[in-house]
Amino acid sequence: MYIPEADFEQLIRTLSEARSRATELAASIGARLGTEHQLAELANTASLKIENVLREVRASATDSSDIATGLAELQGALQTETQPVTPAIVNPSERMPIGTETMANFAAQAGLETEHWLPMFVNDLTSQLRISGGVTFEVAERLLQQRKDDFLRDFLISRRMYRTYPHLFPELQGHMRPPEGQTISH
Amino acid sequence: MIIDSRELNDLTRRATDLMSETADVPRILRNRLGEEHQLAQAAEEMQGSIESFVRELRCFDVSAQTVVADTFEGT
Repeated sequence: MYIPEADFEQLIRTLSEARSRATELAASIGARLGTEHQLAELANTASLKIENVLREVRASATDSSDIATGLAELQGALQTETQPVTPAIVNPSERMPIGTETMANFAAQAGLETEHWLPMFVNDLTSQLRISGGVTFEVAERLLQQRKDDFLRDFLISRRMYRTYPHLFPELQGHMRPPEGQTISH
Repeated sequence: MIIDSRELNDLTRRATDLMSETADVPRILRNRLGEEHQLAQAAEEMQGSIESFVRELRCFDVSAQTVVADTFEGT
């Protein structure tokens, strides 16, 4: 589900020219046969459909650009944000709480929501530790990658849902969009 | 409210060019987004609409000639 920028440019150029030509054809036919003639109506319909596709392609091109920028920001932010927070609770010598309690404790200590990716990742690690009695670097990397993938997928779905169905998010209606260039806080 | 055959031929040619130039649009969108995507389907509808227009223009070419011939016969 990806359209390269070059394809967008080609589509927009082709459709823009087609719209102009269809409009000229509709005008020529309307002038000679009358605007209510079947041929004039067909030409107008074709012109409108070209216009609709052009508008949707332009919107998709804008969304695609936003997503590319957003993903780049997210990737960068994920890399930097993982640095400062140290999961101090993961200490084998301490008695380890289990399940959601682990997550809630860690989230509270780190000042994060329990659904933030980091407490959930820590919970994944501790769960793995309980199940297998140890955690290798490879397992930790895989769990982190899964959290990262989940985060990116949830983010894209949430943004699409909000844009498509803003009325389902009345609590966000009064909020302004983040200023240009501001990274997304996660 | 009349159109001569030369004008009609010119309009038909221009409409056929339009149809040819936009033929790749549905294919590109279908390949990139899948047949079920709304944009790919909108592009298919667009192309279908252009094809209907061209088909009617080509048909009108024949009937228009008949109408002109009948008119001349009646005068």
